[in-house]
Parts: sequence; C-alpha cells; structure tokens
Amino acid sequence: MARQGYSPTAVVIHWLIAVCIFFLFVSSWWMMGLPLPSDELTFRELPFQLHKNLGITLLAALALLLYVRLRHRPAPAPDRAARPWMHRLAAADHVLIYVLIVAVCVSGYLSSSYTRWGTTLWWLVELPDWADEDEAMNMLFSDIHLWTAWALLAVVAVHVGGALYHAFRNDGVVRRMLR
Amino acid sequence: MTPRRTDGPARNVASQSSTDPAGGARSAAWASWLGAVAVILGVFLTAVHANELLKQVVLVRNAPPDGRMPAAVCPEEELEEEGLTAAECEHMVTNVGGLILSAPAWFAGFMAALSLAGTIVAFLSIVAGAALVGGRAWAPVAAAATFGALAAVDAAGFVAAVNAGPILRQLYLAERLLWLLIHLMMTLGAIAGMRFSRAARAA
Repeated sequence: MARQGYSPTAVVIHWLIAVCIFFLFVSSWWMMGLPLPSDELTFRELPFQLHKNLGITLLAALALLLYVRLRHRPAPAPDRAARPWMHRLAAADHVLIYVLIVAVCVSGYLSSSYTRWGTTLWWLVELPDWADEDEAMNMLFSDIHLWTAWALLAVVAVHVGGALYHAFRNDGVVRRMLR
Repeated sequence: MTPRRTDGPARNVASQSSTDPAGGARSAAWASWLGAVAVILGVFLTAVHANELLKQVVLVRNAPPDGRMPAAVCPEEELEEEGLTAAECEHMVTNVGGLILSAPAWFAGFMAALSLAGTIVAFLSIVAGAALVGGRAWAPVAAAATFGALAAVDAAGFVAAVNAGPILRQLYLAERLLWLLIHLMMTLGAIAGMRFSRAARAA
C-alpha cells in the first residue's frame, strides 16, 4: 500500500538537497567576487573546491532520492488539491528540476575538467583529469553551467510557489513532504 | 458551500475534527502558513549563514599577515572568461582588502561563531516549520523558540556590525535588520497562534 506521505528518507534527502542548492547559489555569487587566483592570492581555493565537492555530492544525493522515491511511492496528491493543469505543471516542474540539477552539476564538473584546477573529492580523493586543458571547452561548459543554473533557480521558484500555494490552502499536499 | 474552518476546536495545532484529504489530522491554518514560510526561509537562511561562515574562514585563512594585499593578477583570458575588465579585476583585490582592513580583531571569530549558531538554528527552524505544517503537538513551542533564537542571532549580528568599521556596517546592517524584523514577526506569530489554538481548545 502506498504511504500517505513520502518516506522519511526521501523527506530528509529532499530538504538536504534544498539547503545544498541554495548554499551553492549564495556561495557562488559571493566567491565569484573574490580576487582572481595567483600564487599570492588564494582566496578562491577553498570556496571553489567546496563548490565542486557539494555539486558532486548533490548528484549522488539526487540519485539516492530518485531511488527512494521509486521504491516507496507515496499516495497520489489529494484530487481536490489542485486543478488538472496544476498537476501537469507540478509534474513537469519536478522533471525539469531533476534534469537541470544533473545538467548544472555535470556541466560544472566538465567545465572544471578542462582547466588546470583539479578536483579533490572532500580533500581525500584526487579525481582524475578527464581532459586536457582547453579554454574553448571550458568556456562552453561554463556557459552551460551558468544558464542551466539560472534555469534551475527559475523552476525551483515555481516549485516553491506551488508549495506555498498548497500550504496557504492547507489542503494536505505539503504535509506529504514535511512528515 | 462555506469553506470549512480549519482552526476550530484544536488539539494543540491539529484540529480534532477535520482531516486533510491525504488522511491524518489537518493542522490549523495559521500553523500551515507559518510552518511553510518558516521552512522556505529556513532553507534560504541556512545557506546564508553557512556562506557567512565560509566567508569568515576564507578571509581569515587568506589575509596577508602584514595586512597589505598583493597586486592583482589579471590575465586576459581569465578576464574574458569571467566577463571582467582589468579595473574590476583590480577592484576585487581592493574590495577584499577593505573587508579585512575594516574588521576589528574580534570580528571574524565572533561572526564565524554566530554564523555557525545561525546555520544550526536555521536548520532547526526548518524542522520546526515542518512540524507546524504536520500539526505536531510540540511544534508551536519549538517554532517560537527557534524563531526567537534566530531573532537573537540577527540582533547579535546587528550589534556586531554597528561596532565594526563603516565598510562592514554598510554591508551588514540593513540585511541584519530585515532578518531581525522577519524573525520577530514569526516569533510573535507562533506565540499568537499557540494562544489562539489553546483558547479554541478550551472553548
């Protein structure tokens, strides 16, 4: 029998991912204002490594969330909670969020791979260089990273707007992700 | 059809008589609204406080010992990649130097501790907000406590910025005041809602 709400594991991962995404946005806006790196100016080192590590971890967390969601399907949202177009919008928005998270993380990692800056996963595991340094490829994936990130922010705004709409209606939809 | 009141006879925040369409007790309307707002703001604020902690760590770790910032290094290809002019590139160094210069000796440590506390309490406010939406009996007290704690963190940050240099004041003061007002409103909302639910239960 389907659960009334999402599984506790899905709920916890969902909110950790949410915090992680907002942190990645807020910290990236700040760190891009730090001095360009040189031998003496190393302000960007820690925030950029952290940004890449969180991005890679976010991908793993998303994979886990999707696995848990597929294994433990919650009961459908209440019929009276929304009009059909709202259900369609919510479904499309969810898919877009998942696709964009993957696109942002992968393009960010690929962009970094084409630079001289390596990635050490949580300061423990040196990830191999997948490519030689290539400024054009770095720029390409950097642009993809930037624009998919803005698109992700837009679809997250729709997601948050929908959640607030249901919370203000108090129709039980939001409770499914807050148990 | 008259909309059903959801904040009527209540067992703490949850209504005894009404159930939501997904089953289970429906939380009072005020708790659902305040809880959802708390969760959304809590997610954002956790990120903001964590970023402030990162800022302080980065500035302290990389501040030149003699306080004199090295010259900016602005290669043409990096300027193009980041959409910067050479003047902007040089200003980035000056800007960070100004932050370091403007901070009193106690500022970085104090703000790091405060933002660590803020990160933890902001995360707890997500839990409290979720509990409000879920109609948990302990939720209103937990919400009032966490929102109040966040207001205290904001107030402490405001006072710290007041006592720092002018560069830090113009960066921090308005933002801290805005969050302080938001958290005061949320604290009062939780307290008022708690009393409303108690009165409804007693009636």
